[in-house]
Amino acid sequence: MPSLSGKTNGCQGGNMAFSNAISRAWNQFFFTGFSGESLGLLRMYIGCGLLLFHTYQFVTVLSLNPAGSMYYFIEPIWYFHLLGIQYHIPALSFAVYFLLMGATVAMIMGKWTRTSIIVVILCIFYLKGVRDSFSGDVHHRYIIPMQILMLFLLSKCGEVCSRDAQYKQPSPGIQEWEASWPIKTMQLYVALFYFWSVIAKVRVSGWVWFAGEGRIQEVLIKRSVRWGVTGEGELVKNSLSFELAQHPELIQIFSHLVLAFELGFPLILFIKSVKLRALFLAGVITFHISTFVLMDVNFLLIPFVYLIFFDLVPIHAWLKAQASQIFGPRPSIAS
Amino acid sequence: MYSDYKTRDTISAKVWDKKKIKRGLFVTHKDGSTSYVSPKDLNIPKPNFRRLYYQRMFGGGPPKHKQGNRNLSTFNRFVRGLGEEEENFSVDWDWRIFWVLNKTLKHEPEDPKFIVKVQADYQKRIYRKADLMKQDISKAEIATRHALIEWQDEWLPRWEHGLL
Repeated sequence: MPSLSGKTNGCQGGNMAFSNAISRAWNQFFFTGFSGESLGLLRMYIGCGLLLFHTYQFVTVLSLNPAGSMYYFIEPIWYFHLLGIQYHIPALSFAVYFLLMGATVAMIMGKWTRTSIIVVILCIFYLKGVRDSFSGDVHHRYIIPMQILMLFLLSKCGEVCSRDAQYKQPSPGIQEWEASWPIKTMQLYVALFYFWSVIAKVRVSGWVWFAGEGRIQEVLIKRSVRWGVTGEGELVKNSLSFELAQHPELIQIFSHLVLAFELGFPLILFIKSVKLRALFLAGVITFHISTFVLMDVNFLLIPFVYLIFFDLVPIHAWLKAQASQIFGPRPSIAS
Repeated sequence: MYSDYKTRDTISAKVWDKKKIKRGLFVTHKDGSTSYVSPKDLNIPKPNFRRLYYQRMFGGGPPKHKQGNRNLSTFNRFVRGLGEEEENFSVDWDWRIFWVLNKTLKHEPEDPKFIVKVQADYQKRIYRKADLMKQDISKAEIATRHALIEWQDEWLPRWEHGLL
């Protein structure tokens, strides 16, 4: 019996050590690495990116006549269906857009931060619902920004670098773990967003998706020919895409690159070097620019969210120093 | 949206026609008169109108529907309560086109201006992959597709509650 009990104890000890190691790694990943200031600055910079992103996403809705027809949606998005929203009120979309921009500015400034974030989320839901219900398409460009906003909402991001903080009683400040978990969760989500897109491709279509004569070639042809052909048989637009589509061996290389970067994206979570991380993300940005230029895939502005992979405190300090050199007081000629 | 792909020997590409899009869908009213319904009349963005014109008019749903109908596992079907061959997304686009056009333009079924027929057409170019490999694109087959949808009186009971 003693030997058995000794074995059990050894096993328990091993399990304990293993669970401690997991717990340490978990805590190390989620609860360390960022300060309260990093979180506050991230809220400000992501907010600035959102100002541009919102306008780019909803510019087509803003091109409509505010006093024009009230269009009945052909396929109301699921939450419009639930709420009984059947048609579009153009003037309301303009009002919601201005409310969205105002709330985003308030979020950047950290004025009524939580309320501002809730307003931003609701406005996005409404405007995205309108845009997607016109013809029934569902675009996923807001998935990442929305997840980031939800985490800002749950975090204490409004307690630093904000107007709210100025009017509050002096507080002990945000602990490292309180600042780190929202940012680390954002990072994890973005990494998995890319990772799961490979899983989706393989699940829905199989590995043939990545063939030289696979999906990429098809999209290149479709997106270049759709703009029309001149009398001489030349393409009106995107002739480079059409040219590339005739080289499956090149497409094969590109599709393997897509596979490698999407599968490998979670590795960014473990890259300590800031330069290496920036290099990796520069590759991803190049990918998004290329798919926009060649295939009209509109994820062009999404890279603004990659700010979550960096501690913005030194970057902000550097930008501030540069700005004060340019805009700061200059010595007068007399002195 | 881009994960859905089926192997084919050809690639069929629609060609957009800016003039046709600006002019709109060709419609016939109950009183026999004809007109066009443009993106401006409906007050919707052009990219969305293009989807109505080139996809919904031809019975095509958004890419998400196609993707959501493909390769559903047994578990997935069970969770959604779908039969073996049953589609996850199935929409009667013809009825919805009439609902959208007439409701937006404020035509009720008893009005003489109620739209009873809608038409659209487009050109497509079909490339054989074997020709693309040889960089011979002169052999593209050019075809024209027409869509003609007509109002069915059996849709009248739906009119009261629309899409909800």
